Amino acid sequence: MKKHMSIRARAAVMLVVTAILSGGITRVRAGGEQPNAKEVIEATDRVRNPGQPFRVALALIEYVNGKPRNQSGLVVYVRQDKQTQQFNNLVRYAEPPRDAGKMVLFKGNNLWFYDPASKASIRISAQQRLVGQASEGDVLTVNLARDYTTKIVGQESLQDADRKNRDCWHLDLAAATPDAIYNRIEYWVERGTYHPIKGKFYSDSGRLLKIAYYHKFEEQIGALRPTQVILIDAVNANLATTIDYSNYRFQEIPEAWFQRDYLPRLRPE
Amino acid sequence: MTRFALIGMLLCALACGMCHGSDKLTDSSQQLPTPSPTPSGDWNAQTRTEQTGSMQTGAGQSENNDLDRIPPSSPEPATPKSKTPAASGANQRIYVENAFTVSSHRGGLIVPAAQEAAQTPWQERLFLDIRKEWKVDNRLNLILSDRLNLRYANDLALPNHENVINDFREGFISWEPRERVYLDIGRINLRSGAALGFNPTDFFKTRAVVEQLTSDPSVLREDRLGTLMLETQYIGQGRALTVALAPALLSSTPVYSNANLPSFNPSIDRTNDHFRLLVKGSFNIGSDFSPELLFYHEGNQIKFGANLTRSFGQRIIAYGEWAGGERTNLIDEALRYGRQTGTLPAAAPSAVPDDPRTRFENDLSLGASYTSSKKITLNLEYHLHQSGFTMKDWSNWFGAGQGQSTSSPIARELWYFREYAVDRQEPLAKQSSFIRVDWIDALIPNLELTGFINSDIYDGSSLVQASAEYYVSKTWTIGAQVNANLGSKRSDFGSLPQIGGILFKVARYF
Repeated sequence: MKKHMSIRARAAVMLVVTAILSGGITRVRAGGEQPNAKEVIEATDRVRNPGQPFRVALALIEYVNGKPRNQSGLVVYVRQDKQTQQFNNLVRYAEPPRDAGKMVLFKGNNLWFYDPASKASIRISAQQRLVGQASEGDVLTVNLARDYTTKIVGQESLQDADRKNRDCWHLDLAAATPDAIYNRIEYWVERGTYHPIKGKFYSDSGRLLKIAYYHKFEEQIGALRPTQVILIDAVNANLATTIDYSNYRFQEIPEAWFQRDYLPRLRPE
Repeated sequence: MTRFALIGMLLCALACGMCHGSDKLTDSSQQLPTPSPTPSGDWNAQTRTEQTGSMQTGAGQSENNDLDRIPPSSPEPATPKSKTPAASGANQRIYVENAFTVSSHRGGLIVPAAQEAAQTPWQERLFLDIRKEWKVDNRLNLILSDRLNLRYANDLALPNHENVINDFREGFISWEPRERVYLDIGRINLRSGAALGFNPTDFFKTRAVVEQLTSDPSVLREDRLGTLMLETQYIGQGRALTVALAPALLSSTPVYSNANLPSFNPSIDRTNDHFRLLVKGSFNIGSDFSPELLFYHEGNQIKFGANLTRSFGQRIIAYGEWAGGERTNLIDEALRYGRQTGTLPAAAPSAVPDDPRTRFENDLSLGASYTSSKKITLNLEYHLHQSGFTMKDWSNWFGAGQGQSTSSPIARELWYFREYAVDRQEPLAKQSSFIRVDWIDALIPNLELTGFINSDIYDGSSLVQASAEYYVSKTWTIGAQVNANLGSKRSDFGSLPQIGGILFKVARYF
């Protein structure tokens, strides 16, 4: 297990959220009728996840007192499990050089870490998703509708990372399954586009841990998606992290990739 | 350094942070938000005028305060979009490391050892470590893993061929003739095992560890030679099957010491002195249970093995690793190997009572890991090595060696038992415990503290090691390590000639 958590940076939950094609949004509710909370989060999930296996490259920069301190790079391979509806993630570290080639498999409660230097695959706990400054749990694609119960607590206008006003639904998400990474999430989703604008992530003691802003929406594999997440550490006021997403690509990713024995076989592209 | 001080260093990590036990992510009351400086760019300034819209309800107006904590400018990401992380460095790890070690030896051993002569041995090592993969085409890859060592020590003349040692760890071709069917041929480091401190099912570990800089079992695996073999593997959905065949190419050779390591020899004799066959398969049972079963054949020995893991809640992983098969005990095995390779006289009587009977012996690691919200992971393990030393064996060992001289054949034979066990990467004791702590971002960011205590359950003696690594930058790492063999002179670890050692290192990654 040694060092796998040394990837530097804190990150927000990787909500690969996109503006869905307008037709998709229309399916939620026609005629201006207000969607309920479940419909909002399901719509967000649908637009967030491309609907077929994909890979994406992540570049993380951790800031201390506003100055960049650590940088790291990951490639994440994602495929939805047809049975559980949860997303299986395979994370491969590319940077920093000391961590290059290390991998972490996330499949429900089956989490494995692989280090090519020792050729060892070690099972890790769900808590270790959150260990290290780049908590792996924060860069995963997740199914919020599956893992949380959601309610709308208001409609608010708040500013996005560019300080533009956005009309949002203010959602409150409570963990409903053991796979839920955080105990509670406050989530702001822009009305009409279903873009995520902001998220606040809480521990089970109710303490605010992280704040995420979703930023730089760009066309990626057929839809508008945030290509940057800005993560503010709510515990240590000196820390913040940016996660830049690039090189989205649909890719054939067999289900068989998501098991311990495949980790040594995943070759870099 | 006293035993208690070292153990205290390890346990202080626990006292600091392992106090959370709930299922979801918890926080730490010690991690209170601290006032932050306000450098350029309004960083963390909490006084910016809020701008809110007209439709806000609830807490909306206070939400915009967070914006002031967004970093003022974003430099180019670590991996620009034109150059993905996968393409830039995931297929290699190359680094240069310099390590200086000094150790101290104790005198007055009950069973005298040759190493007592040097009281403060030291060693300086500089090495270039390369692990690299080349993609020949979509289904063919070449893998190389090698370490070139330059070393100078108190007991090594300079210049000397032993100043330069190359460890050819791996070199193999990996071919995927069909989807997720693999054929690998060459020198391969094939590893198995779920535990950290002792891996009974890691059958290819014997004689493979080279020039260790640490006693940490989880790190030792990085410094070991692969075995020349043909390996095939099929990975299906929720199941996998591996078959590895390693031919016998050379005769068995004596156990190497630090002073007679070959320079540019690939040391095939260490890894391919017997025909070996490993078959292992894993399969999913439910979503959270994937046992691995193993069959191993070496020479005239057959072993069976199993690896099991299971999660309990969000923080605990329990694991078990077992291997068993017909064999004699450690003393008899060592005697036969020593006589076969000429280290011990063929007709030499055993210095301690020898039981040559073959019986089914079990090796077992049972353990669990616990991770706290303070980034501390604790592993606890119990180890059973049924062919290892019992209390009676220890009594015989000390009894036979007491009063002997350093050069006596009996003392040399007694120490050979222990060298043999180390060379085989097997515990000497029949029962032992293992505690390991790993603390990420300990006290300050980028500092990782690691420590372990490996204890002989019979006499309570321990090997204790604590290490610190600080990641100065993405390419530089510095570190220090201290270890000690603690216990009475009539104990497993207390009877070793080395009291302890200190290591300083600096590494540059490329």
